[in-house]
Order: sequence, then structure tokens, then C-alpha cells
Amino acid sequence: MKNLEQMDMINARRDDAIVEHFVRNKGRKVFILTESFPFMFIGNIKDVIEDMIALDVLTTNVAALEGREWYIHIHSINVFYIETGIGEKIPDLKD
Amino acid sequence: MIRKYHVVAIPIRIVVNTFGDHNPNGMMYVLKENEQKVKDLVKKNPFTPVELVEPLVIRANEGDTVEILFENKLPFNTGIHFQEAEYDVCDSDGAMVGYNKDSTAAPNECMLYRIHAVREGNYFFSDLGNPSSSEDGSNSNGLFGGLCVQNRFSWWTDPVTGEPKNSGAYADIHHPILPSFREYVWMFHDEMEVNDVTGNRPINHISNQEEESFHGANYRYEPENRRSQLLAEGVVCPNCEGEEVHHDSWVFGDPSSPILRGYVGDPAKIRLFHGGEKETHVFHYHVHQWLSDSKDLSSEVFDAQAISPQSHYTIEPLYGLGSLQGSYGDVVIHCHLYPHFAAGMWGMNRIFDTLQDGSQCYPNGVPIQALQPLPDREAPPKPTELHPGFPNFIPGKVGNKAPRPPLGIKGGRNMTELETNAAIDSPRPGAVFTDPCPKGVPVKEFNISVIELPIVYNKQGWHDPKGRIYVLDEDLEDVLSGKKEPEPLVIHASAHTCLQINFTNRLPHILDGDAFQLVTRTYESGFHIHFVKFDVLVCDGANVGWNYDSSVLPGETIRYSYYADVELKAWFFHDHLFPLAHQHHGVFGSGVIQPRFSKTLDPKTGEEVDHGTQVTVTNPLIANYRDFVLFAQDFTQMFDQDGKPLNPPNFPGSQDDPGLFGVNYKNEPLQFRLGPDCDPAYSFSSHVHGDPITPILEAYEGDPIRIRLLQGAQEESHSFNVHGLKWHKERGNLLSKQESQQHIGISESFTFETYIPRAGDYLWAFETEEDLWNGLWGIIRAYDEKVPHLISLSDRPAPLKRSKPLPKSSGKNPPPAVDPTNALASGPIKRFDIVAFQIPIQYNDFGDHDPHGIIFALREDMDDIIKGRKQPQPLIIRANRGDTVDVTLTNMLKADLFPFKDGIYPYPEVKEQAFYPPSLRISLHPQLLDYDVKTSAGETVGFNDDQTVGPGEKRTYRWFVDSSYGACGLWDMADIRNHKSQGAFGAFIAEPRGTEYLDPYTLQTVKTGANVIVKNPFLPKIREFVLVMHDGVRLLDKDGQLIIDPIDGILLPPAEAEEVDTYDQGSRGFNYRSERLINRYRKHPVLHELFSSITFGDPSTPVFESYVGEPITIRLVTPAERRRSHTFHLHGHRFRFDAKDMNSRVESFAGFNVAGAIRDLELISGAGATNGFHGDFMYRSGNIRWDIEQGMWGIMRVHRELQEHLPPLNNK
Repeated sequence: MKNLEQMDMINARRDDAIVEHFVRNKGRKVFILTESFPFMFIGNIKDVIEDMIALDVLTTNVAALEGREWYIHIHSINVFYIETGIGEKIPDLKD
Repeated sequence: MIRKYHVVAIPIRIVVNTFGDHNPNGMMYVLKENEQKVKDLVKKNPFTPVELVEPLVIRANEGDTVEILFENKLPFNTGIHFQEAEYDVCDSDGAMVGYNKDSTAAPNECMLYRIHAVREGNYFFSDLGNPSSSEDGSNSNGLFGGLCVQNRFSWWTDPVTGEPKNSGAYADIHHPILPSFREYVWMFHDEMEVNDVTGNRPINHISNQEEESFHGANYRYEPENRRSQLLAEGVVCPNCEGEEVHHDSWVFGDPSSPILRGYVGDPAKIRLFHGGEKETHVFHYHVHQWLSDSKDLSSEVFDAQAISPQSHYTIEPLYGLGSLQGSYGDVVIHCHLYPHFAAGMWGMNRIFDTLQDGSQCYPNGVPIQALQPLPDREAPPKPTELHPGFPNFIPGKVGNKAPRPPLGIKGGRNMTELETNAAIDSPRPGAVFTDPCPKGVPVKEFNISVIELPIVYNKQGWHDPKGRIYVLDEDLEDVLSGKKEPEPLVIHASAHTCLQINFTNRLPHILDGDAFQLVTRTYESGFHIHFVKFDVLVCDGANVGWNYDSSVLPGETIRYSYYADVELKAWFFHDHLFPLAHQHHGVFGSGVIQPRFSKTLDPKTGEEVDHGTQVTVTNPLIANYRDFVLFAQDFTQMFDQDGKPLNPPNFPGSQDDPGLFGVNYKNEPLQFRLGPDCDPAYSFSSHVHGDPITPILEAYEGDPIRIRLLQGAQEESHSFNVHGLKWHKERGNLLSKQESQQHIGISESFTFETYIPRAGDYLWAFETEEDLWNGLWGIIRAYDEKVPHLISLSDRPAPLKRSKPLPKSSGKNPPPAVDPTNALASGPIKRFDIVAFQIPIQYNDFGDHDPHGIIFALREDMDDIIKGRKQPQPLIIRANRGDTVDVTLTNMLKADLFPFKDGIYPYPEVKEQAFYPPSLRISLHPQLLDYDVKTSAGETVGFNDDQTVGPGEKRTYRWFVDSSYGACGLWDMADIRNHKSQGAFGAFIAEPRGTEYLDPYTLQTVKTGANVIVKNPFLPKIREFVLVMHDGVRLLDKDGQLIIDPIDGILLPPAEAEEVDTYDQGSRGFNYRSERLINRYRKHPVLHELFSSITFGDPSTPVFESYVGEPITIRLVTPAERRRSHTFHLHGHRFRFDAKDMNSRVESFAGFNVAGAIRDLELISGAGATNGFHGDFMYRSGNIRWDIEQGMWGIMRVHRELQEHLPPLNNK
């Protein structure tokens, strides 16, 4: 039981840390991979509402899904990279 | 719920079209309630099709028990055998198999079948009382049907009246929760007897020879021959040629063949069945795409589906009728095999944009039947005078060819008032009534022409003087002047592109005549496309139904517009006006829609390019890769350098398998690959002969590659194999099984995504014997160090500077490859000491035998086999994941024991027979396992060194079992003419780690065997049955006379034996055994008892035993060798198509068993299926013609009671 509680705490802290990280980087450009469709997003972090990221989506795999706001739950994010000025720039993808 | 049907099998005259073509000896299943009605209607209408005369289609819901009271009114025993259903095999099998009692019905008697519809899907049913493939058999005459099992709680109504209905090919299916949909049954079938109104066989009015066999759907066909007779007689469109208006309703009115009607956007399911006997067809449905497995979201997207006899698929078009773009009009559905298409195997999906209440007419005055809107969808608008809806706004003239589309043709006409009313707001060339391209999408323009030019196929000067190909206008001069080699046009673009094609017809007006063909006026040409989104009315590149004719005359240019919404595989394009006349001259190509943001580069220069069969692709998000496109071709009409036609038909214009084969307009026949010592073992060696002229697909070691596989022409199945590489069956699903083989029919398209683990030469081949013999093979070459003509992939480590020169052809046999066992092994090493030797093989107890068999066996078994203490069996060996396998092969072949030392193997033949003496060398090639192709591929390919074994010599191969693949084929690659069909094959089973293999009777550990118990500490004990399906066997009978199968094996044979295709020649069976029914029939001539062990004892093919509920895995491999694909079916059991994919469809058949195919069939709920039935379950081919008669069947016996000789598995 104790282990389970500790596990819950670890997960909660991990979630908090991710949320906090996104909050700190509001306005910045982010690259996100998700397990489910449409799998990839590039956009600007517009807001963080509880554990949902509001994203101004610039690019996904599917053009029809671009140029609009998407809400992504942090649990559905498999991989992300935020462009902070340090490290690689997220490419500007053009058709 | 119990659902009851009373079904009667009756003799019936089947009129297959309005020309009066008919089968006077037809047979059908019909509901009792319709029996008298249908008989009366047929009597009153002896020369016109009767709607009720169609294959019986009944329906049930998942979970139902279906009781069929079956009444037989035919003059021999018949029954109903249901596929996919579960049932008590002892009383509801519709057959008399093994020791089961007879569940066929005698003439004028009844039988009650009770079957369980365990799952939604297509349940094919047919007769097994009369298994003859001849015109006196039941299946060829129509005795088959379909049970469509719906989701629970469904009900169904008539699409015309809206009333409930009990049977029929078309119904609207409703559900309390799920959307209503249109259900259409499309039942392909072939080889039915057809006579014309005079009672004679139809004659082709141009060649005056007998017409092609029947190829149709739902007891109907609409042959080009019949329609073009009306042209020749001047009844309609006297200026038309024939093929270009074959599907044109403006000229002829609607065809008799199926027209599937719906409204734009309607959800639909086409229940596709193959009720025929022989051919593998390719179902193609214009405009639409669907998931290859409708319940598996990660399955591949298809728009063409090959289908072999007694198999079935569900075609559920994505986005509903009209696809994403909401196109409407006539959408042709057809078998893509052109001789079948021309023979009449086509119909249409008619998509209306206005409401049809029965008050409207087609342009020719024929009333349009009412069509109920689906109740949960908004009804389309009613037609008005200004907006009459499709097809009544099109300015066509009945009796004449369809008009050309407005706007599309350069210098062509504008729109009429009615067309303007029907058009979208901003019509443009190629997008008039639907615009597939969203606003703002990037546009990519291609200028493409179709031209005629001679094509030289090989170094020996085999050539097609009338090659016809697509070419970019910018390459025209270079290709025509010989600066650039002709190759199939492949254009590349990224996803989310609007493609604008300016297509110019530069063909001569006439395709000249020769030994192959008669003069044909191919005066118009189109550019028909697959996969992309487009307006079918104006952009189909075809001439279908009441649509426009979207082709152009010589010298004209037409503009087409398509949208590629997402990454697509290689989409096929070709002409749709005269494909039968000229597609096999090369009129095909492909577009590849790469992932978004990709760039395609010339692999030599690195410059950006937009076309080519080999490109390098870079992408900012995913790994860069090499992209290769291969097109298989058959019916290739070639002449040798002296102008002699190669394999010409019996008369010009015959579709009876004329010509030879090609791949990307090239071939490398093996008859020209004999070196100075005339040893076939070095046929694939570049050391001896230099590289083949066929594509060498180049990469560096470690590079990701994508192979795009298509078939450009014309009628036959091909089997693509890559030796040493593998890919996931579902490209986006890492859990799907890995494969190294793919069956393909014309118009299908596959993408194989993989990488090249090591440098070396990898063989790719269309590996049925005749394809390979005639040159359909080449090399994937992975370099270990930098070469000047190949850029490296920018995201891979740069290749090292070249330290040694590239190998060159020396004309000499290569040295033996290095011994792979010198290297350190990974994991436990398992060693097999294998010998190859010649031994006569008895194929059955009737004395049919191959006196010149060549087999692989464990050395420890050789003596017993030679002395007759053990019967020859295909070698089956096993190892576990993680094992390193060292196979030492010793060659004990003797020159004296080869039958045809003159170098011509007389029967079974291959096209273009030539001197190819038997090799005394031999090798052993495995599928799927991991090995270094330079030492252990079991073949001598390219610039790899020699891996074949000389007589009296031995060699060790090292294979690593990197995954529990299950079945893998094993075969010789030293001599594909003189070794393989004689038995030089076997199977390797890659099991999970920690598995032991036990003899099922003694429970002792075994090293080999087709029937074992596999025991693993983490799994239940499983019975594993290995079936090696093979054909092309040369058998002699007990008197030493050559058996000319399939003809010699036909039950109730016709008076005149027909000539069979080369690829049907030879005997066939499982595991070196063949229970040819003709032997049984001669002994006891009662058709329905031929499978009975009560009458004959058990068959010589394997009888696999088990107890109810025991886990069973069947490993099915087809190492050899002919191009005819076989369906495999197991009675009363089901399995996943892909055993490793939990989302995979569950069926009782496995199609496309052709050289290299492998299947792992884990029976759902084990022996006896979910309800635990016992008895004798037949496993067999689904091909009535010519497999079952010829011995491709056996028994899986499921015991209920303990047998003294068979210990149970005792799984707790």
C-alpha cells in the first residue's frame, strides 16, 4: 500500500513538473509527438489550463488540422521539445 | 436467436446478359419461397436476365444460430458447406469427409444444417457434394452463395421499397446505435459454361475464334465482344472502335452486370466474395479507398484487392460513397486483370446527387428505380428542371460516345447552362463538379505525354517494337533520342499537394498488328489514377457509365486535377480507354506521395528531382530513405533480335497468356545466364555474367529503404520475394508480423519499409519458377564503403572512403564464400547436419510417384529413408528465438539420377523453354532469419561469393533466429528448374525462446517432423502441424506413365481436353503427398463420397490428430513453385490473418499461397473451435479448378474420446 501511495506521489509530482515546465515556457514554440492521431504537432504554447496545453498549431502531419487551437492533455504527450533559444531550433516546415 | 431459412438447390437456366448469353445447365441455391417464382420467370424470359436469378445471399446477426433446411433438387448429392461458421462437423459440414457421416443431401432429399454465426462478416457457402471442376461440376455452374452476418441487433430493408427482405444481393442495413449503410454483395466467379442465343459457344466477332471464358459477378457479365458487335453492325456509334466505349452507357445503355446504387456520402460495405473456381482476380473500385482489414485501424489502405477462389473481403469505403471529395457519378468496379475486364467482369457504383423516387429516367428513357435515402441521413435534394442531377445535366447523345468534359481539354468547350448549374462555384479544368483540392494548397504541375517507341528488354535484344510509355515532356527528346533509357514514369510529390497534370496523347492513331495482336485503332487515351482524390465525372481518365469520356484524341492535351491529402503509397496510373490493347506495351506508371515536407533527390547527384524509379528522400522529421519502385509485367509482347515473336498466341488477338515478362521494361532470363561450364548454380552471379540488366537498387549498409511494388500489366499473379530482408506487414504497426514475400496482381500497390543491415548483394525476385526463369529478378546492393555514383543519406554516418576497388565480372565462378562459423556466435548454437540426395517419392497409395525426387533430410535419417524404413518428408527443422543455427549441408546428388540430361525439362513446362541442364550443386536458402548474405543466404547472388555446395562437398550456413517468426520456407537456389519442384524444399520453424519439440505419439524430443507438440514453460502445450503446399510436381502413375495433371485429374472430364496455362501444369499436394480424387473415383465412382475414409481409408496427405480444445497452430508454407495462387481453407475453424496482431481479422481461409508465401494459423479456441466439436475437419485448397481434384486436401482429426495411440496434451 505504501508503495502504491509513493507511486501516486511520484506520478503527481512528475505531472506537476511537466505542467510547470509548460507554464514557464508559455509563448514559446514546441514540438510534440503523441501516440494517437495526428501524432505530431508544432506550435506555440498559448496557455496551460490545469493539465491541458492550449496550442496554436502551426504544423501537423495533416494540413487540414493546422492554423487552429488544439488542447492536448499532458498524458497524451509522448515526446516534447520546447524551443528556448538554447539548443536546436524547431524547423519551419513548408510544403 | 435462431434464424431459419429453407434453401433449395435447383437446376436453372442462367441468362447472364441482355445479349442472351446463358448457361443452360446453371445451378443455384434459392429460398423455397422464391423457387416457383424464379422458375416461372425464367420460363417466360429464356433470353433475358431475371433479377431473382442471382447467387443466394441471406443474412443473420452475430450470435445467431442459423438453421438451414436444405432441399436438393439436383440429380446428384449436394450440400452447403459454410466457411467462417462454427458447426458440428459430423452433421452440418455439407460434405462427407473422413469418418464423418454424410452431410450432403441425396437427390430430392433434405438435410438440416445448424451453423453458428460467431462473428460479423462474410460467410461464403458452396457445394462439396460434387467437387468436379468441369462443366458437370456444381461450383462452376453457380452453386454458391453468401451469408452476410451483421452486428448484433441489426435489421435490413430493401433499398428500393424500404420493406424488410429475406434475401438478395443489395440491402440497407440498420442498427439502433450504428449508422445505417448500403450493403452490396459482389460475387466474382469464373469458368461458368456460357452459350450464346444459338446454343453455341460465343465466338469473338473479330478473331472468329472462341471467346474468352466467363468472368463475371453475381451471374452476370457484360463482354466487350458483345457490345462491340453492335458497333460493327452499325446499331450504335459506328465510328467507335470497341474497347474505349466498353463501359459507356451513352452508347449502349446500362450493362446487365451489377450496378450498386447510393447517394453521395452514404456509408457502404461491399461484401466481396470469390465464388469461382480458378483465377485470382483483382477487385478495383475507382475513386475509393478502404482499410485492408476493416476492423483494424492500423491496417494498410487499399484501393485494389486481389482475391483467390473461395475467399472474401469487406470493402468499406473510407468517407462513404464519393470519398472525401464527395464525388458523384458512375464509378466503375472491375477485375483489373484486363482479359477478365474485357470478358465482362465489371459493373458500377452509381452515386446520385439528387433524390430518386422512381419518377425520373436516364437519358435513354429507361426509368430510374427509386432509392430510399438512408433513414439517418439527410435526403439529397429533389431533381428540378434546372438542376436535374446526375446524369441528366450531361449533354450527351444516346447512341453516341459520351461527351468530353467541359473546360478540361486545351482549346475545348465551355460549360452548357445545365452544366453551369451543376458545377461548383469556381469550376476549373479537371475540377468542375467537385473540387478535391482545398483552398491554398500548394500546386505541383506535371506535363506528361504518352508515346510509342521501341523498348529493348535485355542484352540479347529481346524487344517490343511498339513499346508505349508515359514520359515527362521535359524528357521527351532524351528518351526518344536514346539518351535516356525508357523506364516506367514515377512522379513524386509530398502529401498535401494539389497535382495538376497536363496530359498529351502523342500516340499514333493505330496500334499495328503482328503475331500477337490485330490492328487496333487506339485513337484516344486517358490517364486514370488510383488513390488520389478527384472529380470522377471529368477526371477519371476513363469512359464509364453516364459520365464524360475524360480521355483525349491524338495531339490533344487534357488537364486533370487531383489532391493527395496524406502520404500515399505508390499510386498506379494507366490508360483506361485501350488497356487491353496496349497496357502490356508499357502504358503504366506511378506517383509516389511522400510524407509531407519531403524532398526527393537524384541518388547520383543529390539534385532535387520530381521523377524517377529510384530516388533518395530527405525529411526534416523522419529518417531519410532510399525509394525504389518496381513494376511487374506479364503478357509482354516481345520479339527476339531476329524478329521472331516470343511465345506468341495461337492467333493474333488471343488473350491466352501471350508473350513473356518484364520488370521496369527489362528482364534477365536465366537461359542466358549459363557460364562456360553450363552450371545453373551461378545464374545469379555477377562474377560470372556481370550484373543483370534489371534494376540494381543501390544503398549503403544501414540505409533505410522503401520498396514500392506494383504490377503494371496484365493478367497474372506474381510473387515478390526479397532474400535477406524483411518488413512489417502493416507498415505503421510494429506488432504486425514480418514478411519477405508478397503476392501481387495488377494495380495493387505495396510499400515495404525496411533497412539493409549489412553490405552485400540481396536478391529480389518474382519467384515463381516461370517468372524467375524468364528474368524477373535483380539485386539490392548495399555498399560498405563510398562509391562515387551514390550520395549518402545526410542523417546517417558518412560511408568510409573506398579502400578496395569495386568487384568486376571475371567470367569465372566465384570462390567459395568464407566460413561463417569462424565468427563468434550469439546465443546458444544449434547444429543441423543435413544431406541432399535423390530418392523416389511415393505421393499416394495408388502408385503415383516421382521417381526423381530430390530431398533434404537430417543425415541421421538418410539411411532409414533410403532403406524404406522412413518415408521421405519435406525437411522441417526448428530452433528458438535467440539461437544461432549452424546448418551443414552435404551434397549427395548424382548426375546419373537426373532424368533429363539433355537440359530440357519437358513437363511441367515453362514459357520459352531452353537448354538448362541440371546442376549437380545444391544450396539451402531460408526466409526471414537473420544472416549475412555474403556467407549464408544459401545462394550465389551478385558479387557475393559461392554459397552452393558441390557434389560430395559440404558447407555450413549460419543463421540467427532474431524473432519467433513461426514458419519460414527453405529451398534450394542452385537450380530452380531441376531441383525445386522435385522436392528440394522444406520449412524452418522459428519458435519462442525455451521451446522443446516432442513427438506427439511417443512424447520423445524430436529434431524434425511436420507434426510435433511444442512445449514451452510460459505457454500451454501446443500441437503444431506443418503443411508444405506445393505444385508443379512431375508424377508418374503406377505403370510409369507420365501424369499430365491437371488434365489427367479432372473428374467428369470434357470430351476435348483443354489446353492449360503453363503455370497450371503439374501435380500438387501437401508434404510430398497428393490424394488425387480421380484415383478414388476410378475405384468407387460416387462423387460425394470421394473425401470419405469410410469408403477409401484415410488419405495419403497428412492426417493430423488432436483432442477437443487442444491448442493448435498450423504452419503453412508454399515454397514451390507455379504462378497459380491457391487458397487454403480449414473447415469449421478460424484463425487470425496475422497471428501476432490482436486486431487482425479472423477467418477460416488464407489466400494467395504462391511461391514464398508463409502463414501461421493459430486456431481460435483450439481443436473443435469454440463449441468444442469433434470429427474430421478437412483442410484443403479453395480452388475447385484444379486443386482439390488434383489432391490438395487432407484431414485434421479431432477426437472426443481418449485414443490409446495419442497422448493428450493435458494442459492445466
